[in-house]
This record gives sequence, C-alpha cells and structure tokens, in this order.
Amino acid sequence: MPEEANPGGATEPQKPEETSAPTGGGEAASPPAESKPAAPKPPAAVPAKPAAAAPAKPAAAAAPKAPAVMQAVAWEGELVEELKEEFGDRIKEFRTYVGQEFLVAEPGAVIPIIEFLKLEQGFDYLVDVTAVDYPARPERFEVVWILYSFERNHRIRIKTSIKDGEKVRSCTGVHLTADWLEREVYDMFGIEFEGHPNMTRILMPEGWGSFPLRKDKAITDMDNRWVRENIGIESGQ
Amino acid sequence: MSETFLDSTELVLNMGPQHPSTHGVLRVIVKLDGEKVTGTECVIGYLHRGVEKIAENRTYAMFAPYVDRMDYVAAVSNGLGYCLAVEKLISCDVPERAQTVRVILTELNRIASHLIWLGTHALDIGALTPLFYCMREREDILNIFEKYCGARLTTHAFRIGGLQYETYDGFEAECLDFCDKLMPRVDEYEELLTENRIWKDRLIDVGILNAEDCKAYGVTGPMLRSAGVKWDIRKALPYSGYEKYDFEIPTRTNGDCYDRYMVRVQEMRQSARIVRQGVEKLAAGPIMAKVAKVLKPPVGEAYVSVEAPKGELGYYIVSDGSTQPYRVRVRPPSFVNLQSVDKMARGSLVADLVAVIGTIDIVLGEVDR
Amino acid sequence: MKRFLRTILLADLFEGLWLTLRLQHPKNITTEQYPAVLPKVGERYRGLPRLNMNPETGDTLCISCDLCALACPEHLIVVGWERNPETKRKDLVTFTYDTSRCMFCGLCEDACPTDALELTQDYQMASYTREGQIFDRKVLEEGTKPTKYKW
Repeated sequence: MPEEANPGGATEPQKPEETSAPTGGGEAASPPAESKPAAPKPPAAVPAKPAAAAPAKPAAAAAPKAPAVMQAVAWEGELVEELKEEFGDRIKEFRTYVGQEFLVAEPGAVIPIIEFLKLEQGFDYLVDVTAVDYPARPERFEVVWILYSFERNHRIRIKTSIKDGEKVRSCTGVHLTADWLEREVYDMFGIEFEGHPNMTRILMPEGWGSFPLRKDKAITDMDNRWVRENIGIESGQ
Repeated sequence: MSETFLDSTELVLNMGPQHPSTHGVLRVIVKLDGEKVTGTECVIGYLHRGVEKIAENRTYAMFAPYVDRMDYVAAVSNGLGYCLAVEKLISCDVPERAQTVRVILTELNRIASHLIWLGTHALDIGALTPLFYCMREREDILNIFEKYCGARLTTHAFRIGGLQYETYDGFEAECLDFCDKLMPRVDEYEELLTENRIWKDRLIDVGILNAEDCKAYGVTGPMLRSAGVKWDIRKALPYSGYEKYDFEIPTRTNGDCYDRYMVRVQEMRQSARIVRQGVEKLAAGPIMAKVAKVLKPPVGEAYVSVEAPKGELGYYIVSDGSTQPYRVRVRPPSFVNLQSVDKMARGSLVADLVAVIGTIDIVLGEVDR
Repeated sequence: MKRFLRTILLADLFEGLWLTLRLQHPKNITTEQYPAVLPKVGERYRGLPRLNMNPETGDTLCISCDLCALACPEHLIVVGWERNPETKRKDLVTFTYDTSRCMFCGLCEDACPTDALELTQDYQMASYTREGQIFDRKVLEEGTKPTKYKW
C-alpha cells in the first residue's frame, strides 16, 4: 500500500534501491525464499502490475542509478539568518532531517562557527565530535560536531567534508571536552586535528598500525605485526 | 635546595589496570609529590571491543544485544537509546503501553545502577556494609528483569518499534512492592552514611567541579546536577512519554563528591516515584508498532540521546538505505566525564583521587566500547 | 550543646552501627545456599538451548526453515537438512549450536516459527572442553547430562 505513492512510478516493490519513500519501505524486499511465493506481495498493486511491468522496467532500469540521498529539507530561522550574515558563503547549506537541524560548512570555517555559536549564541556544550567514512566520495571523511545550548534548549550539528590526509583545526581551544573526543576520531579514522595538545591514540594501543573504523579495514583485519611483536602470538583472526 | 631537572621528590606511580578501586580496567598514571597528586593521566582502551565496527556488520535488530554490553550495569538504558534512535530514523511511533513499560524498566534500571554506584563507592572510601545492602536491593530489581525478559544483566528488553514481551502476571504488584520496600531502605543507607563524620570528612570539598567547568568539559548527569545546573534530558528533551510524569530534578550547589552522593540518593527516590506513576498509568493496548521484518531505514542520520544513569548517552546513527547501519556512533557519558579527573584530582591526596574516580561513576565497558 | 554532645559521644557512628547490628537478626539473612538450594529462575529465562519434539509423535518440531540461523548475530547456528522426496518438505538432519560463542540474546528463539528452538531455564553450563560446548542435535534434543554430585 505505501508503494502506491512511490515517485518512481514503478509499482515494483522488489527494487531495494528506491528508498526515497520517507517511511521504511522494507516490507518489500524480504529475505530470500523462506516460503514466499514468487509473486510480489501487495495485492493492491497486482491490477496495475501486469500493465506496468513491461513499460516500467526500462524506466526502473534508468531511475535507480542515482544513489538515494537523504531527504532533508531546508532549515529556516533566526539563527540561520545570523549565521548567514556572519559567514556568508562559507556555510554551504542549512538542512533539517527528522526534526534535527544541521549545517554543512567548509573545513576552514568550522572552528570560527563554533566560536561564534559559543560566544554569541549560547551554544556552550559540545556534545560530540565524530566522523563518517565515505570512501566513494573524493572528500572521504565527513566530520560532525554536535552542539547544544542550555538556554535555547536546542541541538545542532555542523558537518564538513575533508580529504584523506587533510587536517582540521582542533576544537580544544573553544571547548575543553574536545580533547578525548578528537583523540578518538584520530585513533579510529586517522584524521588529525591541528593544535591539539596531545594527538595520540586513545583506545587502540600505541604503535597500532591501522585506523580501524575506516571502511577499507574489514572487521577481522588486525594489525598482525603488532600482535606478534607485543603479545608474541599469532593473531587469532 | 636548587632545582635540577630531575626533581627527586616527584614520583610517577601507576594505578594499574588491575586495581580494586578503578571500577574496571582503567589505568591512571599518577605523578606524586609525596602523597599529593600533581598530575594524572588516564590510559584507557583495555576493554575496547570495537562495538562501532561490529554495528556496521550487523542488521539493526541484530545489533541490539551488543548495545547492552557497553554499560553492562545499566543495560536497559543503552537498549532504550538505541531503539529510540532507530525509531527516529524510521519515523515510527511507539504505542502508549510500550512507552510506559519502557519508562518503568528504565527507571528501575536507574535505581539498580545507582545502587551499584553507592555500594562500590562506599567500598572505595572504606565503608564495607553499604555494598551488601545495595546488592540485596538490586537482587529484587534483577529478579523483575529476569521474569520480564529472561536475563538479569544484559537484558535486550526492548525491540525496535516497541516491546517483544508482554508484562508477566504480577509485574505491577512486584514493582509497587519493590518501591515500597525501597523507600525505608534508602533511609537506611542515609542513616549509615549521610551524617557520618568519616563520610563527610572524606567527601566534602573533594573533587569540586563547578558549573562552568562542567559545561566546558561536557560533563552531564548527576555530576552536572550536583554543580547546580538543573538540567535533565528527561525534562529538557523528553522521550518515551516522560513529559507526562511528575518528578523533580535534585540539584545541589557545591559540586563536590558529597553533593554527588546526595544527588544520586535523591534520584533513587525520584525514580521510585516515577515507577509508581508508571504502574498506575499502565493501560491495555498493543506493545509493538508496525515495523518491517527486514528493516531498511531511508538514507539519513539521526542523533538521539537519553538520560542514562551516568549522563547523556547519545546514539548517532547514519543509514545508507540498506539493512545494516552505515555508522553507529555511541556518545558515552563515562568517556566524556572521565576527562575531568585531572581537573578534580590535582592538588589533592591519593585517597581523594580514589574518591574522585568513584564519584564520576564510570563503567569501563562504556568508556572503551 | 546538643551538637557538642553528639560529636563527643560519636552519636552518628553509633547510629550506623546500631543499624548493622539490627540486621544481624536471622530473619534478615538473605544469603542463598547454592548449590544445596538451586535458585528458581523465571519462566522466560534465556539459558541453554533445546530442540523441542512433538510429544505425541516424537518427531522434531523443527522445519529447517533456517530463520534462527539468519537471526543469530554471531552466526553460530548451522542447520543441515535434506529434501524428503515423498512429502516434499525439508527434513532436519543435523543442527549445530555453538554455546561457547552464544550471548543468549534470544533472537533465535524469537525467530523460530514453530517453537522448536527454545532457551530453557538451565544455567549450569560448565564444560571441561571447548568441543563440549558445541551442541549437536542429540544434545539439544535430550539435554545435557550434568554430573550429579553426592554432596
């Protein structure tokens, strides 16, 4: 039934790539076999199916090639205006998704934005600093800062994309809590923060050779050399 | 005498990963001048299990049992945070009855966590009896968890979209019974400790962290409330129906270890109050929302945080439209709170360092994930 | 004056001590005498697994649908089946469950459509070998045979 409103036009529930429906469209692609018959599930789509199947196929073949993107809408408000005034072009977009607002900025502008938000807008609590790895993109890492303001009771995110090897300025001058949070991002991804007082590994042992949370490291990829040298055994993975 | 670069009165000592007072495998390298602490450095990572990497290789429903094992003392809160984050991604509304049972179990879990904290903190300070009394109370809570979902500690109580199990016969009666039994027991703990001169000597004015420092260090939970900031995620950004419950946020002003003790004891009382209200509110209804068997949230990301007993526990989940999450980031309260040890312990004695580490209420499973 | 007397006479310490002494009464003892008295666990307890059989016919209830193996986060269930030529259904041949890696999360029990796989209330799961913790179909159906001690 939710498939009827599918903007792709094809009432083919089996295509898992068409996830542009805002609610979970997961009923369709159930795990292979069990005892499901080969016919697609929603009976309401059946009358349209035989007719739509043939012409929809070439359309469906062309449509899902574009990767699904987050259906975020624009974020308007007073804070947005003030930020636009202060930073102009350096903030690329203001979006909101499921009620949570975020802005995407250039890497060099992030720390001035955080300072501005802390000193003039009351965002005095840095909740988290983290990163996400998208190896397919040219700017591989997306670093995310989450800020919260006690007075406004408002939480926002700041995101930026950087290349492998590029450095970001550290936030420890503005918020002291960024100390260990940035060390963990470095430990897990290899992103260095300039100006951090102690940019060393925090969770993995010293001398570990790889950055575990990068997507090119599989889950069983261990640094066998380190294990052999320091523990004296062959790694069990 | 003249200063050489080798200051022979300074000693670097290792409070190693195996230590009865460090609440897990925490290593603290302490620089001492006699008995006075002049600097500390925490070395963590001994319990790092790569939970965030595991999440990228499991489906959403399969990952839920792993989440319990991070903060293993208060596993129900972890499960609640994760389920709320995924439900936000799929924009799913949890039915009313499920929300009420979730609140009841989460508050019982908060009481259990604070009981462990009280017992072990008192043990660190040197008081041996509160530990046994706290464990006795905790047995009752764990029995309720066991009858409800089948496990005492790593409960896996909630599912994405609601609850798996209906409450068992006698659930309401047992919860109310427990609350009635708890109130005089909390008075007993206070009788043992609150006016006790040794307790007060050990804890008052030790480990002071004022409100500004708390906000600068990102410290949340009872530590922030003991410094005077009246902030609780259950009131500020309510989830799972918390806006319908009537409870107070205990705060104190001094920001030292004694205040944190008082805040947590009062929180236990408030949690019992919430459990009573929850049991009264419990009405018939469905316990699970309509959620796909093979869950594929749309592409997007969400950050949801809950008030865990230790602070703000946040989940930042990035989905790429497939059955497995693309990135799950857990923002652990103990990890962020632990950074403030250096600030609090500098200039005090080693025994105060032990009190400070205890008062932050860390669980290494959460610090290291 | 009252405060002075309380301080001199150690009143706060004696109040705490009186509480401890009061709780020495035998009716307040909560120690469980394990293993002489085994604690009763709840009905939904997630303990050792068991494969249930149909009580009338004695056949296994498992239909080899493999849902438990798909649901397991640790991928430790292996279901061996073969197609029965007469009834065209799957027959269970082997069922391997590795309890050494199991975290007793209950997802397999939730996934089973026929209530064949069940996590019982058995919590005594010690074994001398690692291989002893990999349950095959026989152990799952008949149950473990723990050593009975005479004292």
